[in-house]
Amino acid sequence: MAVIAPASERDPQHTYARWLELGTRIVFAFGVLALALYLSGLVAPLIPLRDLPSLWTLPAAELLREAHAPSGWAWLRYLRYGDYLNVAAIAAFSLLSLVCLARVIRAFLRCGERVQALLAALQVLVLLAAALGAFPGAS
Amino acid sequence: MIRVILLVAGLALAPSALAAGGDAAAWWAWPLALFTLSFLLGVLAVIAGVGGGVLFVPIVGSFFPFHLDFVRGAGLVLALAGTLAAAPTLLRSGLASLRLVLPLALAGSICSLAGALAGFALPVNVVQSALGLVILAVAVLVLITRGTDVVAIEPDAFGRLLGLNGEFNDHLQQRVQWRTRRTALGVAAFGGIGFIGGLFGLGAGWANVPALNLLMGAPLKLAVGTSGLAISIINSSAAWVYIGRGALLPAIAMPAILGVMLGSRLGAHLLHGMPSVAVRRIVIAVLAIAGARALLRGLGVWP
Repeated sequence: MAVIAPASERDPQHTYARWLELGTRIVFAFGVLALALYLSGLVAPLIPLRDLPSLWTLPAAELLREAHAPSGWAWLRYLRYGDYLNVAAIAAFSLLSLVCLARVIRAFLRCGERVQALLAALQVLVLLAAALGAFPGAS
Repeated sequence: MIRVILLVAGLALAPSALAAGGDAAAWWAWPLALFTLSFLLGVLAVIAGVGGGVLFVPIVGSFFPFHLDFVRGAGLVLALAGTLAAAPTLLRSGLASLRLVLPLALAGSICSLAGALAGFALPVNVVQSALGLVILAVAVLVLITRGTDVVAIEPDAFGRLLGLNGEFNDHLQQRVQWRTRRTALGVAAFGGIGFIGGLFGLGAGWANVPALNLLMGAPLKLAVGTSGLAISIINSSAAWVYIGRGALLPAIAMPAILGVMLGSRLGAHLLHGMPSVAVRRIVIAVLAIAGARALLRGLGVWP
């Protein structure tokens, strides 16, 4: 027999909270692990740690040129380096809201809240466009 | 007051002391200092009710050697991480409203993208000077703003259409029903705030809360909780610009994120015992000095 959750638990707001809590815990744990691997040198970085003080005073575009580092989504090909494992953790933090909002679109529709579902869908599109660098100058 | 002066002097002089080590200073010295500072800011932010993000960028941008591109990126994700951690609890208790956030965050996230892109297009001294002015304005705003719990709000048609109403339990476990007004103005305000947040890498609680509470009539606790949820969505959008531009250095961003998240936890434990008025004064003093430093640095008067 199916267990019907109490009305408050079916509220899209609670669905969002559940997904966000789980996602935040997973990404935070990954972030701590990635940082430990990076700072300990167990996973070698693309940019040697000792070179950082001479590079972090430069504008971002210049640092990328000096260090031959990737921009846009090209960092995905560099996950074998410790620094880009940490970039992956930061990207995961930035994706959490998009995933949770996508999840609650259906929940809003089920509750008959079409306006809220539309707003959530529009927000997902904006976040997706931002992540894909669809806006001019984004990468 | 003497303790405030010593604290601010310590914050101002410590980075210089590190820099005096020149090339001999280990690479880890600055990230360690950054972690320590972020931890303290996390504690202060909870007690003073002012977000760590608005403190982080002007202090680190003014007193640490990192280029402003990386400081702005770190500030943005620092505010993002802090609000993501708090949001689930606030949503469950009704102190943050997803329905209220949706139209506001949509405007804010589009404009924060524009702000982030503008930040990379402008000369760094212009951004630094503008940051100084904004931070000085924030110090004044924090000084003069007093939250209020407005009652008997007459909701507007736009707010009714968007379903901007709800309820939560206050500290006496009494049900508080709320609704909002001036919805279109609120959406516009969040657009402007989002632009500034994206441009400077700031968390925007200092502006979101007055916009929700004083402009839209949301109860103060709901305004504070909902502001955090809004920041978690709005900053997610601008963060991608910084990721795509390579402006998120892990050695800067990650110690800052972890420091502020751990500091916030301690701050939450200390909240009941600490005199929030005194801590608020410390925050205002720090903002004023960091803002002045950023402005003078941008103008080339105090490099």
